[in-house]
Amino acid sequence: MLPLLAVSIYWDLPVLLVVVSLVYAATRHDNWDKIVHEATGWGLRITGFLVAIGLVLYLLSTYL
Amino acid sequence: MASSPTPEPPLPPVKLDPLAALLSYLIPGLGQVYQGRTGKGLLFFGGLYVLFFYGMWMGQWRNVWLPDVSGLPDVSVAGQTLGGPAKAASYRPQFLGQFFIGTAAWPGVYQYAVFDATKDTGPVFGKFQRTPDEKELNELQRNGNKRWDLGWVYTVIAGVLNLLVIYDAFAGPMFREPPKPSDWVDDADVEGARAGAQPPAKAEPPPAPAAPPSQVPNPPDQQGGA
Repeated sequence: MLPLLAVSIYWDLPVLLVVVSLVYAATRHDNWDKIVHEATGWGLRITGFLVAIGLVLYLLSTYL
Repeated sequence: MASSPTPEPPLPPVKLDPLAALLSYLIPGLGQVYQGRTGKGLLFFGGLYVLFFYGMWMGQWRNVWLPDVSGLPDVSVAGQTLGGPAKAASYRPQFLGQFFIGTAAWPGVYQYAVFDATKDTGPVFGKFQRTPDEKELNELQRNGNKRWDLGWVYTVIAGVLNLLVIYDAFAGPMFREPPKPSDWVDDADVEGARAGAQPPAKAEPPPAPAAPPSQVPNPPDQQGGA
């Protein structure tokens, strides 16, 4: 089985990501368009940050 | 010479709502539903309960508790010896975050209050949110593939996020919207309608503040709520 498809705590992260983005955005606005827009932005930023950290750790563990 | 932009109508003063804040503490989103913001209330309710109970599920339903500390050494903070729930929370600070999810964490408080070390389960809730014994705790942490630990992190995040939800119920969102023109109704018209008189008529928009262009208010997105 590919390592990415193995049972891993990383599969639990989307739940956290979606809920944190939506709830945080909804505490800043009442307008649904703005909530969805801001939640999308936060979701993408958090995902990008996590992917970047994961990539760095993967490269360090593989080639160092 | 450039024409000055049309100024936005002034925002109404912030109305603080302690009752809604209390309701949102008890059940996430309930205060928003009480205020008529049903969609947001349901979002908070669903989102935070999914996160909290998903975290408990990851921890095999054994990662939310307030420990019995009767036999443990005293804890001092700033020269004061802690006792009771404060001492218990100092041994399990995660519960301070979990507590703010509201009633969903109250079984843990109840289990702490009625804890009996001579029994395996507590009354009413059984083992739910009861302090695990040392052997069980070791097994959970050793055999849980880190999911037990990640689970309690999820429950703490859910509780802390509910603090933002409580504040939203208490004082509104961080960025408030100006009232829509269709909402401009005079209070006198509303009172008249309540008394069975004429139906409320749309009032004239509030007069624009006579401010020079250099003192035009900020756009709504830049105005803080409270």
